[in-house]
Amino acid sequence: MVIRRLAAILAIVALVLAACTDTGDGESQAAESQAAESMAAESQAAAGDCTVAVSWNNFQQPRWAAKDKPNIQETVEAGGGTYIDADADLDTVQQLTDVESLIGQGADVLILLAQDTAGVGPALETAANAGVPVIAYDRLIEDPTILYITFDNVGVGRAEAEAMFEAVPEGNYVLIKGDPGDPNASTFLPSGWDEAGLQDKIDSGEITIVADQFTDAWDTQTAQNNMEAIIDSANADGVQIDAVLAENDSTALGVVAALQAKGYDPIPVSGQDGDTANLQNVAKGLQYVDVWKDANELGKVAGAAALQLCENPDVASVTIPDGLVNPDVAPTAGLTAAEFTTPGPDGEPDSGDENVVNSFILQPQPITAENLDLILDSGWLTKDVLCEGVDPASAPPACQ
Amino acid sequence: MADALTSTPAPAHGADRGSNRLRGALAATEIDLRLFGMLVALVGILLGFHIMSGGKLIQPANMITLAVQASGVAIMATGMVLIIVSRNIDLSVGSIVGVVAMSYALLMTDWLPALGLGLDTPFQWLVALVIGLGIGALIGGFQGFLIAYVGIPSFIVTLGGLLSLRGTVWLMSSGAAVSGLQTEFRKIGGGVLGSIGETATWVVAGVACLAIIGLIVYNRRQRQRFGFPVRPMWAEVLLGAVGCAAAVGLSAVANSNYLPPGLATQYALEHGIIEPPGGLKVPLGFPWPVLLVMFATLAMTFLATRRRFGRYVYAYGGNPDAAELAGINTRWTIMKTFILMGVLCAIAAAIGSARLNGATLNVGQTDELYVIAAAVVGGTSFAGGIGTIPGAVLGALVMQSLQYGLSFNQVNSPTQNVVAGIVLILAVAFDTYNRRRGSAR
Repeated sequence: MVIRRLAAILAIVALVLAACTDTGDGESQAAESQAAESMAAESQAAAGDCTVAVSWNNFQQPRWAAKDKPNIQETVEAGGGTYIDADADLDTVQQLTDVESLIGQGADVLILLAQDTAGVGPALETAANAGVPVIAYDRLIEDPTILYITFDNVGVGRAEAEAMFEAVPEGNYVLIKGDPGDPNASTFLPSGWDEAGLQDKIDSGEITIVADQFTDAWDTQTAQNNMEAIIDSANADGVQIDAVLAENDSTALGVVAALQAKGYDPIPVSGQDGDTANLQNVAKGLQYVDVWKDANELGKVAGAAALQLCENPDVASVTIPDGLVNPDVAPTAGLTAAEFTTPGPDGEPDSGDENVVNSFILQPQPITAENLDLILDSGWLTKDVLCEGVDPASAPPACQ
Repeated sequence: MADALTSTPAPAHGADRGSNRLRGALAATEIDLRLFGMLVALVGILLGFHIMSGGKLIQPANMITLAVQASGVAIMATGMVLIIVSRNIDLSVGSIVGVVAMSYALLMTDWLPALGLGLDTPFQWLVALVIGLGIGALIGGFQGFLIAYVGIPSFIVTLGGLLSLRGTVWLMSSGAAVSGLQTEFRKIGGGVLGSIGETATWVVAGVACLAIIGLIVYNRRQRQRFGFPVRPMWAEVLLGAVGCAAAVGLSAVANSNYLPPGLATQYALEHGIIEPPGGLKVPLGFPWPVLLVMFATLAMTFLATRRRFGRYVYAYGGNPDAAELAGINTRWTIMKTFILMGVLCAIAAAIGSARLNGATLNVGQTDELYVIAAAVVGGTSFAGGIGTIPGAVLGALVMQSLQYGLSFNQVNSPTQNVVAGIVLILAVAFDTYNRRRGSAR
């Protein structure tokens, strides 16, 4: 009986605690939005000021809060504008409410990281009715009026393959792809590889594909298990694997773990995302290239573009100020907004439903042991973190 | 292992009236026919993939990889058996693995160094391991408390655990992967670093052999002492011989897995050995994860069949009311099964994070499904009261051999899932059919 009573008490305590933390969150959110409102009110009081609103779809991926948000905010505030934002927590409906509330707070420009590119339609209408220009940030929105700011996603695949072909021009390659349901894994990245000449090299016999495997949910352990089986299979055939083209960093991490578990001599492995663990592997010589999309630069471009749209809502006239972004990252099409043909709502190119939007398509940067200093210079990682556990004898220049 | 293969309480249906001499002989050895059948199925699956791969699959190195890949799920399956036997379910095991794996990674790279215990501190990994095991036990204990004492259905509690613990993994690292563990810790994950070597492997074989013979002798004496029927002498000798042969055979396989040639050359240089033509062969022996599976199987089998706790679990699973009325403290028994499950998850997490040399947001994701599948394929019944631990370990090996075999033959992972799902249903269907036939007779 005592135990039963104790149980009831504990359960009640747990419930109360849960409730407390809930209201705690609610209060802090309310406080934040109040602060934002008062900021917005102040900015409206100071006439002619520019209020830039950002509707984030989530803060669960670390990059948005850690990299993108501070850069947009700093750029906007340095230009005399006011920054407000809201986080939709991966909820399409919440995002629509957020947009209405942000426009109600007096937003002059809306930067939108869309949770659902189709479901965001009503938010665009709200913005259009209020005469607020919209920037589609990192994710495409199929609407001709928007300004699209992103990294070149096919270019990521191309950069991965180009770097790898420089290191291993011919030999036995393993292809480790991501989730088969993600068009990035099945279409865009492989087409980038082929742009860099993968298919040509296969046809000419320079490169032999030992294995070609998808990875459910981009999961690291799945990639590791698959790679171990591929190594076993290659060993049984007496085949030496010379390089592994992995589509992203989470799969590359699994590939490196498998190579180590099998005592395989380090061979070039590719990846993308600039994840901390992978950049550390680049520093240790365990991963050859990590194609990096510097979200800091993306945030700066969006902030600068938003400030200009406050002055002149014509998206075609936006120009990135000279010297704002790293020339290696700047769009190949130049510093003025360029036209970009979207695949259209059906996702198929050349099917007649494409939109032409104004865009800034930034260039991804392949990071190898030789140019790791870019990671330090940009403040992406500190030297302590990047060079943790690196053997001083074989340290890359950035870690010496 | 021979003792593990013998069924426990099932009294020998010795009077199998002359239906079949072979069946009679098998019954005399008291070998669990179900387990024997699963072993045959496992060999059949491997042979199938062996032929599919053009005769390349069945090699010591590959079998070791397969066993290491199955180790985490196998260890957790030994605990899941007791949970399902006592009419509960634990859906949170994958998320517990995630939380504990991330704890190991953060403890070693971040939390302990902040307390002055850097990565270069000897035995820092041991501190992390002990804390991690404690975290596993705490999470399991809390869920078990809610289930056993508060009376919330286990499905609900552990479904909540599945969601909230996975979210906790994200909160712990803000979604980032953490990497760079202590080298000693990474041995838990096996691989070329984490194997015990040739001599130790033969020692393990010898000890196992002696233990098997010792157990058989002890069992026979005990049965004689209490006047229970004993196995015929030939069956005892056969069991001992087969058990010893299995132990020695497994060790021989492990010792035929050699250090990769590049590392062998380095090894030769370091130890001042002149490399013979054709390269130096350095046997690796048992990897640690495989030893952990063996240990978990033996310990859990002992716990389930030879200790009061195990008897209570099976009694409760067979008839909860009767167990309660018989004066068993059923709540505490149920809570203990969940504490045990948490500890086993922490061991699996150690293997997983050691293999990865770190932890990612997804470590252990969907493990719960494979663990439950392994237990069920291994003959554990959702009706409660039925299930063996060696069966679940074999179940884990069957599930992983499907994945590994398909991956080895370069079949894509979506197809691997299709096959795993079909085999799960077939295994249970076959089992249900067999049981029905058995009871109709």
